[in-house]
Amino acid sequence: MSKGLADGVGVARAGHFETVAQQRAAATLGIWAWLITELLLFSALFLVALIVRIQHPEATVAAAKHLKFWIGATNTVVLICSSLTMSMAIEFSRIGWQRAMVRAMLATAALGGLFLVLKGYEYYADWDEHMMPFLGSRPFALAETPPARLFVNLYYVATILHAVHLFTGIALLLGMTWMAAKAGFLSRHQNWIEVYGLYWHFIDLVWVLAFPILYVVNR
Amino acid sequence: MSASGSVGGTARREPHAPEATLGRKADYLHADSTLRSWFLTTDHKRIAILYLASITGFFVIGAVAAGVVRLALIVPNGAIMTNDTYNKAFTIHGVVMVWFFLIPSIPATFGNFLIPLMIGAKDLAFPKLNLTSWYVFMAGAFFTLVSLVLGGVDTGWTFYAPLSTAFSNTWVLPALIGVTIVGFSSILTGLNFVVTIHTMRAPGMTWFKLPIFVWAHYATSLIFLLATPVITTALILLIMERGFHIGVFDPAYGGDPVLFQHLFWFYSHPAVYIMVLPGMGVISEIVPAFAQKKLFGYRFVAYASIGLASVTFFVWGHHMFVNGQSDLASLVFSALSFAVAVPSAVKVYNWTATIHKGSLRLDTPMLYAMGYIGLFVLGGLTGLYLATLAINQHIHATYFVVAHFHYIMVGGTVLAFLGGLHFWWPKFTGRMYSEPWGRVSAMLIFIGFNVTFFPQFILGYLGMPRRYATYPVEFQLLNVLSSAGATILAAGYIFPMLYLVYSLWFGCKAPANPWNAKGLEWETGSPPPKHNFLSPPAVPRIPYDYPIQAQEAQDQHG
Repeated sequence: MSKGLADGVGVARAGHFETVAQQRAAATLGIWAWLITELLLFSALFLVALIVRIQHPEATVAAAKHLKFWIGATNTVVLICSSLTMSMAIEFSRIGWQRAMVRAMLATAALGGLFLVLKGYEYYADWDEHMMPFLGSRPFALAETPPARLFVNLYYVATILHAVHLFTGIALLLGMTWMAAKAGFLSRHQNWIEVYGLYWHFIDLVWVLAFPILYVVNR
Repeated sequence: MSASGSVGGTARREPHAPEATLGRKADYLHADSTLRSWFLTTDHKRIAILYLASITGFFVIGAVAAGVVRLALIVPNGAIMTNDTYNKAFTIHGVVMVWFFLIPSIPATFGNFLIPLMIGAKDLAFPKLNLTSWYVFMAGAFFTLVSLVLGGVDTGWTFYAPLSTAFSNTWVLPALIGVTIVGFSSILTGLNFVVTIHTMRAPGMTWFKLPIFVWAHYATSLIFLLATPVITTALILLIMERGFHIGVFDPAYGGDPVLFQHLFWFYSHPAVYIMVLPGMGVISEIVPAFAQKKLFGYRFVAYASIGLASVTFFVWGHHMFVNGQSDLASLVFSALSFAVAVPSAVKVYNWTATIHKGSLRLDTPMLYAMGYIGLFVLGGLTGLYLATLAINQHIHATYFVVAHFHYIMVGGTVLAFLGGLHFWWPKFTGRMYSEPWGRVSAMLIFIGFNVTFFPQFILGYLGMPRRYATYPVEFQLLNVLSSAGATILAAGYIFPMLYLVYSLWFGCKAPANPWNAKGLEWETGSPPPKHNFLSPPAVPRIPYDYPIQAQEAQDQHG
């Protein structure tokens, strides 16, 4: 990954590493290891949702039809666009265009924010439709079968967990953008952008898995 | 000891100054002495000491709770304490011991301290992350301790739904949050080890020159990374269900309690190997050092570590033989569970083969190691009983299970922990401990342990269920025997706490390599300098380069 970097772009070696290449390798392996744990965190939920679908197709399809497909679809597009802007930020960081990189990062954060706003609106619409089985004050209005309830519950857990990740991701991204806007950042910490980019793509990937499993299958 | 060999047997314990004498200010303990320098340190050795101190505290809490449980079981009718108190006592014991002692014990203390030294690195790959993981650990511990202070938990350490989500009136939520948080500490530690072992090895330190301790921690770290996220999911779901009624496990919310068991044991069976594998790594260092002989079948021991870590992901269903899973599933899980015996046996045979015709010295670490091997064999063999479908029907959820997993987890982890603590104590602190007292406590622990837990095999076989505060009067004799054993065991635990702490101030100064052991960690001073090595260490020609190497040629070709 160190190839293709412009002059003056790179990584300052930390004291306990022997070489910059070693430091980069450690950072890359570290983020991939972390992403595998994150994928496993979600995969348990997705696996359960798929098994519920396979075992109780009618009940889950009936419940899944109440999910707001178009909001979910729009959000998918929004996140894919945000991955594009993040990739652009990484490219800009490699060729040393710091200002363009910062703008691409801000655009990424803005798209992430848009996702959260849309998701919030979707939750509001769900609440309006009495779709939240855990709210005693809003009696559950969908078919009252256990698999339907279980599926809807899994939908909320998975999407809330994803939203928490996205929220954390935006906070980290904004913090990093603030640091990355300072002079000299790209000569010392270029790999931060690369490492963070992988995390952002991961958040996108989780949604790309969640959307078909929750909204689309059997529709 | 009469068994002391002639291989440098006398010179080793002389209290002369270390060969490479360091200025007092240069070693990692004395380089800086402010409180701030300890609590904001990024030195892996100091973080290891932070872990060691906190983990010892949790061990004491868990041990006291165990004492309460054994006290209650002296009488059959539950006259000593209420059932409620009893339930809380065994839950505290389980929660604290499993999540806050056994799982982090060896990786977080010895692993942190030794892995960079053993591979010739200056530190772990991510020193700040390492410090973070200690704070995460302490944050998790805080929540769990809050639940204990407020009145305790009565669900058992397994938090089975729907008891934990709907029926328990105790402080389940803070305990759950604490355990969830501590999982992240494990993940961060495992991640740091994996990255460090992959990228930070000194030039020339190839994979098959790594000490088995490092291999064992590599395998353990893979389990940390691949299993812990699943229990985090399970615990998050429990928290959501108990706290917000977003139900996944409780049938009243449309959920399935067996689902919780699947998610729980998918982690918690591999977790057994999180506890056992690092212990095996410790034993694989002690045995060659005290036999002064190359570890027999080095490559096979390394492969067996990875083998155990792999097989353990496919056996969780043996915890669910009697919960209504399909017969086919039970059959498959039973067969796979037997497979665990293969890599375990490889290790035991290799240790015994290493001892065979070695120049044996029965110092304290070796006594612990021998005790470990004995207890692990007995625990492992009774595991085969539990993996057998028909026998499992009879002894499921009885004291047989309790005895089995104590032999594996306490016999395996605690003895290895104490053995390793004595083995590396000179390296950690720069001081020697009292050898006679060390031997006495090693013997006390071995005897006390067997008197405590062997009767429980019989109790379980006779049908005494686990987690009950009362029992039929005919079981009293064995229960009293078990409780008596627990007192011996307690004495065995208290002695090291006294003489090890005493040695910090009054022990002889330790030389760099008091055991004539091999491995890069012995190439530096005791205690090591702040950046581990004053000059880059020379990587040995072969691992375990001990004087006696009868089978070296055979291994090279094997």
